[in-house]
Amino acid sequence: MQPVGNETYVEIQRFLFREAALLDNRQYVDWLALLDEDIHYRVTARVVRDAGADAADYAIVEEYLVGLKSRIDQISNPRLTRAENPPSLTRRFVSNVEACSGAAPGEFAVTSYILAHRSRRNVPEGGFYVAARQDVLRHSGAGLRLARRLVRLDQSTLFDGALSTIL
Amino acid sequence: MAPPISAVEAQNWVNVQRGLVSRDVFVKDEIFRAELERIFDRTWVFLAHETEISEPGDFVCRSLGSAPTVVVRDDDGCIHAFLNSCRHRGSEVCRADSGNIRNFVCPYHGWTYARDGRLITTTFDRHFPKDFDRSQFGLAAVPRLESYRGLIFGSWNPDVMPLRDYLGEIAWYIDPFLARSPGGMEVLAPPHRWRARANWKIGALNFVGDSQHILTTHVGPLTLDPVRAARAGFTTAAENSFQVVADTGHGCTLTYLAPGLPPEAYQTHPRELLDTYRNALPAGQFALLDRLRVIVGTIFPNLSFIETQVGPAQKAVILRLWRPVSGTEMEVLSWVMAEREASSEYKAAVLRSGCHNFGAAGVFEQDDLELWASATFASNNPIARQFPYSFHTALPYINSPETDHNWPGRIFRPADTEVAQLEFMRQWDRWMKVPDAGANVQR
Repeated sequence: MQPVGNETYVEIQRFLFREAALLDNRQYVDWLALLDEDIHYRVTARVVRDAGADAADYAIVEEYLVGLKSRIDQISNPRLTRAENPPSLTRRFVSNVEACSGAAPGEFAVTSYILAHRSRRNVPEGGFYVAARQDVLRHSGAGLRLARRLVRLDQSTLFDGALSTIL
Repeated sequence: MAPPISAVEAQNWVNVQRGLVSRDVFVKDEIFRAELERIFDRTWVFLAHETEISEPGDFVCRSLGSAPTVVVRDDDGCIHAFLNSCRHRGSEVCRADSGNIRNFVCPYHGWTYARDGRLITTTFDRHFPKDFDRSQFGLAAVPRLESYRGLIFGSWNPDVMPLRDYLGEIAWYIDPFLARSPGGMEVLAPPHRWRARANWKIGALNFVGDSQHILTTHVGPLTLDPVRAARAGFTTAAENSFQVVADTGHGCTLTYLAPGLPPEAYQTHPRELLDTYRNALPAGQFALLDRLRVIVGTIFPNLSFIETQVGPAQKAVILRLWRPVSGTEMEVLSWVMAEREASSEYKAAVLRSGCHNFGAAGVFEQDDLELWASATFASNNPIARQFPYSFHTALPYINSPETDHNWPGRIFRPADTEVAQLEFMRQWDRWMKVPDAGANVQR
């Protein structure tokens, strides 16, 4: 797969930054509009394995559009969530973006790193989620859309309760 | 150091008559340390599911009470559990969560043990005294290791009662979930693991019988249920639901579909598996499954289980371990299971449903964990500890179990009282106060 040209690279990076900002600002409706209808969204954590043994990731989130919408309907509605009311403060740092042409015309295979900080109420120390992401972005009439996302957390034990943050 | 026995026995932590439990037991580190010695190092504790270690040499690292423990299958297919610490200088012989080993080779000085724990070589055998008895320096075996329906339990207490006796009446209730097909259940993925800023007993109590939290804590998933059926299912469930208390402190809550509610919106055991269940289970236990919406329960001290679904989504059997880390923190392990005979599509759907609802990012779990951490934070101070937790809704019912039934254990109606929770705390109090490690704690 060919690395994309600079113009497309900048477009993809802008997409990822805009997406992170929408999630940080809890603009979930706008974020959902960036998803393609066949979105498959997964978050995995790692099993600690000896060097040389096969990696064993396990999924902690695996959703298509309906399930993802349901999660967002929950965390975006103050009446329907305890974990996100009061809302946690999140800041997503996206870096190390690499983009190649994808499997189909108009598709791009994009990898990035994400460092997401979650500040919860009065808990003095915040929590970090650190992951590598593998995305498939797709050109639609209205710009790029997210079609696949795999978030591989560099954690085998999550640190603070159950994840209620979109990564 | 754990407090001396006399100090523990003098405590009035659990007042069953008044329906009060001291907050101390949900926050204090010295009580946590006493629990490790008096409960977790003496009773049966869940270690692993047999299908996590299917092949010879497969191992998983877990905790048994206060001690790191490795569970392994040997060349003959037998399961062993050992203190995960070399007999020479103590390094862990396994430092991964899971894997497959030929031998246990200590990375520090090379002491090498077979899969059955025998010491094979120290690598410096030539320097050992002639009378060194190698057979006495194998990996320290967990003295009692027994399985029930694929669940492997261990105990550091050589005198603990047999596992089947310990499970007692609760075994009858877990069979319809773990033994409803000839092949039994299999674990579909490695366990989710997460830390929670809450005492382990909050989780155990939440699962043993806390129907009162469902409509408030979980208003989100119940409201968002796509067929709008879950809420109606719970609010009309009272007459058709009950709690079970077994004589060794275990308990569960069964929530049935009320008459008039359409089973097709709720009952999602796949039709092709129902015949399997009917053939594998005695009629009474098969009947338990009929119109059952949710079973949720706890095996004392810290293994819980649930099978539930929301609306027409998939049923998922989930196992849950609340591992104490301190007075105010636990590590949670959560497994999703399905029948071995089920199709791969069914298993994938179970796993997806299990992840959506429960586990390290579950939509139910998010809100539970938030509120358990909140309770722990607000209780962990001397002022709050003056005010014991209320279990009052157990009191009108706790001495009046149902008499017109022939199912095992004591059955209490309605389901939305705190009888099972208070009985759990009564059992906890007994274990904490029985000084003789060999004594069996019965009702």
